[in-house]
Amino acid sequence: MEHEKVAELRDLLIALPGCEKVDMCFSCGTCVSRCPIQQKVEPAYNPRRLLKMVALNMQQDSFSSITPYLCSACDLCYAACPQEIHISAVLNGVKKLAVEAGFATPLETARVDALTCIGCGFCEKACPYEAISLKEVNVPMRGKGLLIAEVDAAKCMACGTCSMICRSNSIELQAWENSEGVVDSIWSWFETAEVGGER
Amino acid sequence: MVDAARHPKVDVRTYTTVERVEGYVGNFKVQLREKARHVIADRCNGCGECAKACPIEVPNYFEMNLAPRKAAYVPMSQSVPLRYTIDEDACIHCYKCVDACGALEAIDFSQEDKIAWEDIGSIVVATGFNHFDPSVIPEYGYSRYPNVITAMEMERLNNSAGPTTGNLIRPSDQKNPQRLAIINCVGSRDKRFNPWCSNFCCMYAIKNAVLLKQMNPQLEISIYYMDIRTPSKGYEEFYDRARSMGIRFIQGRPSLITEDPKTRNLFVHAEDVVLGKISELEYDMVMLNQAAVPQLDVDTVSSVLNITQSPGGWFMEYHPKLRPVDSPTDGIFLAGACQGLKDIPSSVSSGLATASRAGRILHSDEWEIEPIIAQVWEDRCVMAQGKVCGVCARACPYGAIVIEEGKAASVTVAKCHGCGGCVAECPHNAITQMHFTDAQVLAQMRALLADKPEEKVFAFRCHWCSYGGADLAGTSHFDYSANERGIRVMCSARMDPDFLYEAYRLGAGAVLYSGCHPQDCHYITGQKVGATRAERLAKIFEKMEMTPGRFRVEWISAAEGDKYARVINELQQVINDIPHDQLRQEIERLKPEMEKRARRMYETPGVDKAVEYSEEMARIITAQEVKSGA
Repeated sequence: MEHEKVAELRDLLIALPGCEKVDMCFSCGTCVSRCPIQQKVEPAYNPRRLLKMVALNMQQDSFSSITPYLCSACDLCYAACPQEIHISAVLNGVKKLAVEAGFATPLETARVDALTCIGCGFCEKACPYEAISLKEVNVPMRGKGLLIAEVDAAKCMACGTCSMICRSNSIELQAWENSEGVVDSIWSWFETAEVGGER
Repeated sequence: MVDAARHPKVDVRTYTTVERVEGYVGNFKVQLREKARHVIADRCNGCGECAKACPIEVPNYFEMNLAPRKAAYVPMSQSVPLRYTIDEDACIHCYKCVDACGALEAIDFSQEDKIAWEDIGSIVVATGFNHFDPSVIPEYGYSRYPNVITAMEMERLNNSAGPTTGNLIRPSDQKNPQRLAIINCVGSRDKRFNPWCSNFCCMYAIKNAVLLKQMNPQLEISIYYMDIRTPSKGYEEFYDRARSMGIRFIQGRPSLITEDPKTRNLFVHAEDVVLGKISELEYDMVMLNQAAVPQLDVDTVSSVLNITQSPGGWFMEYHPKLRPVDSPTDGIFLAGACQGLKDIPSSVSSGLATASRAGRILHSDEWEIEPIIAQVWEDRCVMAQGKVCGVCARACPYGAIVIEEGKAASVTVAKCHGCGGCVAECPHNAITQMHFTDAQVLAQMRALLADKPEEKVFAFRCHWCSYGGADLAGTSHFDYSANERGIRVMCSARMDPDFLYEAYRLGAGAVLYSGCHPQDCHYITGQKVGATRAERLAKIFEKMEMTPGRFRVEWISAAEGDKYARVINELQQVINDIPHDQLRQEIERLKPEMEKRARRMYETPGVDKAVEYSEEMARIITAQEVKSGA
């Protein structure tokens, strides 16, 4: 009497590269206290909880969580994790599964102002996630068949690179402008002795 | 230790290393090197004038380098014997100590190491454990931040005989701390360093916290933990008491410690996992409860004593449940943390257990061993003919086979456990195992494969694991092919290639070569000997173009009855899948090849001559006994 097991979230995730050790998490919280995103950007961001939700097959909660989308893959947690779980790979895996399941990012992604975009393509080249592409679209009040940058919300990580590089100030990130906090945090980490320089 | 040293029947040898161990249970010969103290122990009265006169100061290892000691020193106040030692590495040979010693004339710089052989009945290994050095964990800042200390340093700071006479002070400014953090699992339960749980640190952290809180109730103590493990009697009650005293327990593993460069106060960054919030609390002092790791010289000790290590570097016990204090070598026992981490009560119990195990040997004139030992047929051994061989000695996990040039290999009977590895490995069939002789095994095989052999699945099973697995498959009523026929040998190491050639020569449809999983082997490395051979055999059969699947190697434990049944069924399926005529043709085709390869086996007396054979063996053994005077 063997029932065929329906592959659930955990099984799907474990099959992805880097996610094999997701069950090994014993919830010590090292990743969370090491994370610059959690401390400087978004207190609701919590990889430990996401790992637990995955282990318990809480598909709906995991896919609508903001945690997978906010991870910057800096891998500070990977170096600190006592169980050697590649947490950023797990978060990336959850994101992949969420997108495949039709979930959209719960984050505010980069937005292009079609009225001012000049279609230079700088942002397309700069985007580290290949989320931006140039498309011919009709823009009301401006013209038809214009080359305008378009952001794929599923791929955008809201890092702000495009916004910084844009020549015509046409891309902005509305809710996640607090990236200075991330820079500060990473900067202070660079100053600690483990990277090399004493204070 | 002082009490033990005073006992008339206890001889404590300190400052002495074991360099070589020879012999066997009850008859060990041990080479001891007593290092030169440069002090004549009989003349020294321990007055300490030499230490007063000595101008050299070096860090005191016993005080965790928190205090100095002289080059003329006693390691600690309970040292046995309480005599001074000159530290040759630090001494500058000013000879002020000689003048200070005066008329006693106890100091002798001409002393050299004394090497002596001793007769020993049984050996107890109690080498203990070492401490993990947390300075390799960069995020905790040990050795960079002065106020981050280890548990052992705390032990000395907190000890009334320690360098501060029990006054707990911060190393940075010698003030008493008001806020103390204790961090558990530093370097343990951490795959980057040591995966194991160090067993006693939870209780050790709580003990230290309670002790410090009793001495100074104003001291705020927080313990950072992942899990608090309090499994023994009274431990959970002690944990309760600690909480009722106001000691704060924070569940969460700190990821970073930072320091305020002005005040030298420390900030511990951790997530309180219960709240799901980051806590960044300020402390005056942080104690790292570091992991316990094996001693640095475990490899030397295990090679000197010929005992094995389990993963991690702890000495391997004979059986984890049934013989936890015996080492795989008879007459050598393991006490305390060198076998696996233990707290004080468990260490004392294991020490008492080893004493009683060792006493059994010392009190008996004779020692019973299993009769299934290996015997060398001296006329056949090529070593006796002046050739170089030694294959048997390499296969022996116990070092029981003695190889000398120009002499036949000889088995130290007391060391032999009867795995049969040497028997199967010997290229000249010069060794046999009592009760598992080639003739006996062949007789069984011929009987089992007498009728319709091509339909049979023939299984070689090791005594300890796969035979148990087959037993379990039967008692659990698992369905498996009725064509299965199997024999038992002691270890997969005994499964002679000749037996397999013979099985195929007799026409067996499929053959299973099974034994313990590598980590479960009851003969230390017997399974490895068997596994290497099985690999070699698989290649040979492949070259012969035997149908794949007719030879199978599986490691099956005694608990894997279902696996045994499955493997047998799969082998039966292999036979079923080959058309009957084709299988018969293949068997006939391979027969001459098998016969050729198994040729040397027929040189040993056959089944029909079994009686003469055993008489011959009895004669050889008696001759050996007479020769060795046993």
